[in-house]
Amino acid sequence: MISPAAGEHPLQYNYTFWYSRRTPSRPANTQSYEQNIRQIGTVASVEQFWKFYSHLVRPGDLTGHSDFHLFKEGIKPMWEDEANKNGGKWIIRLRKGLASRFWENIILAMLGEQFMVGEEICGVVVSIRFQEDILSIWNKTASDQVTTSRIRDTLRRVLNLPPNTIMEYKTHNDSLKDNSSFRNTKITL
Amino acid sequence: MKMRKKEKWSNSEAAEEVDRRTRGPVVKMSARCEKSTSRAIPTTRRVTVHDAAHMPQDYCTTPGGTLFSTTPGGTRIIYDRKFLLDCRSSPVARTPPRCLPDIPGVTSPPSATINNNGTHQGQMENNNSTIHTDKTAGEDAQFEMDI
Repeated sequence: MISPAAGEHPLQYNYTFWYSRRTPSRPANTQSYEQNIRQIGTVASVEQFWKFYSHLVRPGDLTGHSDFHLFKEGIKPMWEDEANKNGGKWIIRLRKGLASRFWENIILAMLGEQFMVGEEICGVVVSIRFQEDILSIWNKTASDQVTTSRIRDTLRRVLNLPPNTIMEYKTHNDSLKDNSSFRNTKITL
Repeated sequence: MKMRKKEKWSNSEAAEEVDRRTRGPVVKMSARCEKSTSRAIPTTRRVTVHDAAHMPQDYCTTPGGTLFSTTPGGTRIIYDRKFLLDCRSSPVARTPPRCLPDIPGVTSPPSATINNNGTHQGQMENNNSTIHTDKTAGEDAQFEMDI
């Protein structure tokens, strides 16, 4: 049971760091995804978070088709997890060079409870890909438009996004159907 | 011309206010004035947030600038970005976690800490570009970027 040590600043929730990597040529299915993703550690306080974060490379320095995930303890960063079954995610595509800064800012916003959507946030992902990088934030109820709007607005604020930034939402059901994380999203301006 | 304030003022406060206006910096202590007691500046302040629309527009502040806020349904632990970044430099936060798995190219080995002295120093210099140094990704000024 991970908990804050004496004198440390507790987080509202415990969070687990995950890392995954895939050879792009290998087709992805649930089983292989689960095998390719591993836990790095779980944190319960601000200090414990920095311990781990300071000993991970920046996402911008990851090689290949890699992802970092930071999810609430007990929620696997997989579509099929109980908490994600009815959920979805906002995604923001970043040109190369921005991933490290944006990843840090989105994590700090999530850990600091800036989104104000009750229990809805599941976690965040940074995905390093060939020509672009992608930031995602997962929430539990895709159909809850009040929640998804608030998350979108908070993202604009905490990431300081330019006003014309395209933000895309995709339900995990849709991802399951087309076996793809980032294609066929709903586009929002 | 004395301006009438909407708030209720105690007699002593009103007297002091009048004195300041008519006599400049010198405060006349009349018989009705009471000397206020000194009080330490409070370090925390509770601000109730009922509506997410009340969250500030800029990310560097939280409502009232507090660490803890009350939201509908209970107390929630809220930290702003600046506070979280300030915690990074504490000694506790800098020591490596006990059970960090060794994933080359992803995690830095437990034996090499950021501020390690002695024999690891030479090795660390080569790795600094891929491992977090004390300068955070967001330490330089935030500005709008073309995504």
